[in-house]
Amino acid sequence: MPLSVPISYTRYLDDHGQPSGELPGWVDDPQLLLDFHRQMTLVRAFDQKCVALQRTGQIGTYASTLGQEAIGTALGRAMTEADVLIPYYRDTATQLQRGVAMQDILAYWGGDERGSAWTAPGALEDFPICVPIATQACHACGVASAFRIRQQPRVAVTTCGDGATSKGDFLESLNLAGVWQLPVVFVVNNNQWAISVPRSLQSAAPTLAHKALAAGIPGEQVDGNDVLAVYDRISIAIERARAGKGPTLVECVTYRLGDHTTSDDASRYRDADELSEAWKHEPIGRLQRFLHGQGLWDEEKEQQLQRDLGERINAAVEAFRSLPEADPGAAFDHLFAELPERYRQQRDELLIRAAALGGSAHD
Amino acid sequence: MKQFKLPDLGEGLQEAEIVEWHVKAGDEVAVDQLLVSVETAKAIVEVPSPQAGVISRCFGASGDLLHVGEPLVEFEGEGEDSGTVVGNLGHASGTSDLAADDFIIGAAPSSRDARPLPVMPAARELARRLGVELGQLEGSGPGGLVTVADVQAADTQPTAGEALRSVRRTMAKNMSRAHAEVVPVTIVEDADLHQWDAGARDPMVRLARAIARACQAEPALNVGFDGARLSITRHQHIDLGVAVDTPDGLFVPVLRDVGNRDAEDLRQGLARLRADVLNRSIPPRELMGATITLSNYGTLFGRYASPVIMPPQVAIIGAGVIREQAVAHQGQVAVHPILPVSLTVDHRAVTGGEAARFLKALVEDLQAAE
Repeated sequence: MPLSVPISYTRYLDDHGQPSGELPGWVDDPQLLLDFHRQMTLVRAFDQKCVALQRTGQIGTYASTLGQEAIGTALGRAMTEADVLIPYYRDTATQLQRGVAMQDILAYWGGDERGSAWTAPGALEDFPICVPIATQACHACGVASAFRIRQQPRVAVTTCGDGATSKGDFLESLNLAGVWQLPVVFVVNNNQWAISVPRSLQSAAPTLAHKALAAGIPGEQVDGNDVLAVYDRISIAIERARAGKGPTLVECVTYRLGDHTTSDDASRYRDADELSEAWKHEPIGRLQRFLHGQGLWDEEKEQQLQRDLGERINAAVEAFRSLPEADPGAAFDHLFAELPERYRQQRDELLIRAAALGGSAHD
Repeated sequence: MKQFKLPDLGEGLQEAEIVEWHVKAGDEVAVDQLLVSVETAKAIVEVPSPQAGVISRCFGASGDLLHVGEPLVEFEGEGEDSGTVVGNLGHASGTSDLAADDFIIGAAPSSRDARPLPVMPAARELARRLGVELGQLEGSGPGGLVTVADVQAADTQPTAGEALRSVRRTMAKNMSRAHAEVVPVTIVEDADLHQWDAGARDPMVRLARAIARACQAEPALNVGFDGARLSITRHQHIDLGVAVDTPDGLFVPVLRDVGNRDAEDLRQGLARLRADVLNRSIPPRELMGATITLSNYGTLFGRYASPVIMPPQVAIIGAGVIREQAVAHQGQVAVHPILPVSLTVDHRAVTGGEAARFLKALVEDLQAAE
């Protein structure tokens, strides 16, 4: 018997930037729309720079966010400073919107622990990037539980990819969040590919949002390439959680226009036609066309914006490059309030070895 | 000259193959402009320029394999080399102007060199013996572990000779092991057989009995020695290994309990063992458990020898060709049949005194008329 429980799907702008129905009232805020556009454009340019820095050996493996700029930008904007982001590795856009500096993001991908010790006031208690798949969903339930225990009107927001929704960690977290009615929002970046596993082979569920139903929490889909839809629905989910009405799962349907990471080559398993079709739906052009239609944008402004962003990015890269060398023991510094004895021994051993290597590391 | 060296383009990749150059010497490039497409084990990767400048040299052509840390392009003008791998790697010492052909040799200093390569211990030992450079190997095991098969595949000097098989292969291995472990000392003496009945010259049965008597006189040579635990096991019985030469190689069947068997019994036992070995019908259990060994090369040729002791045994007796020899006998020169005897002991377990007492008892028993 096929499952036929309807899941809502929200989209305000179509591929041509035309409203596909009535727009929410908050859209009458030109500055907000321009902010979205500016931020998404920054994300894309910065993302491209990150890939180039990896290709020239200046940072390590990097997970590009190409094509998924709307999700993180809208999500970061919908959260308040009091809320806590528990991100995964494809959250450059979210972190940037939360105020994390580009040079910190570069430091993280450059293997420097200081990249997760940012001082951005709006993101002080945000978690560092989580690379193990879906484990961050558990962390988010822990954070949300803490808010409940402290009786704080704050919300934990966690992100993951489509592949992560098949993991026990994710499903257990949904269950816990549902039964405890935790103030947490699960945002799924369904970009159709979990490295080389397509969405069709990931799950037989009609939508990933359906997974929320078994946990007794609301689940919905939004067009992840429509920044207005993502912002609108996630804002509602966050405020719902803040009001003590429990968790929500928001599945943002988008497309990974790049490789999984810089270690991947998607052309080996992905059809080129599928990719070029997906480019027609990408989020920045869509918003730009909408802004053009509203008389808020033109070619001159676009060129000026590209110049400004280029300068900002170059300055961030320079700041990253001039970061003094990290202490070799830094890997041990952020895990425990007090380092257990066995780790202390390991750290000391490492420092001795690092000192022995010092000649080649510092000359 | 400022060189841009091939970075690690994936996670722990060692090399990349040049697919196509998008610039050439003399070209002016901007930051992030595409320089070259390379193929790694994981992906085809477009490598952009880390800086603006004029290219003075491109290293390598399509199809060339470059190792991480080797120069990719050189920019005109002075300056230090740009980093390659993430983090804090050192820079190549000096500013050598590499000839086009030797860029493939030797990578820039990299922290990778200080990292231990995961290698199976057996593979590391084999590589040492074959002279295979481990640093050049890409392990096929889990986590890049270098296996024995990887080392064998990387052995560029396979033997031109014929591979040893079966018995000879076993011999080669056993002898290497024994030689590596045992500390051998050899002592030799002649047994004067003039009292033997002229017609009854069966030295094998007499040798077996003499060895049994010698073991009874000096039990220290009929023991098992464990070199790893430094312990000695004293044997209750004397089980004599008898080295038999065959076209296939060396066999050492075991004659059981030689201390408690009469001459006729020993003769039949020896005949049966020899026949079984030559027919290749000897059961494996008959080749195991010798407590002491006799190598009677006297049936072939040669006087003295220092045969190899197989641990855990501690002694081996060699018997040479019986020959007519002029000897001093009761103040006169006489011609007697002489059997040269060699005794080799493992000095880790046996003292010189024990060896000498054993040999004395052995020779005296051999020299007796019956």
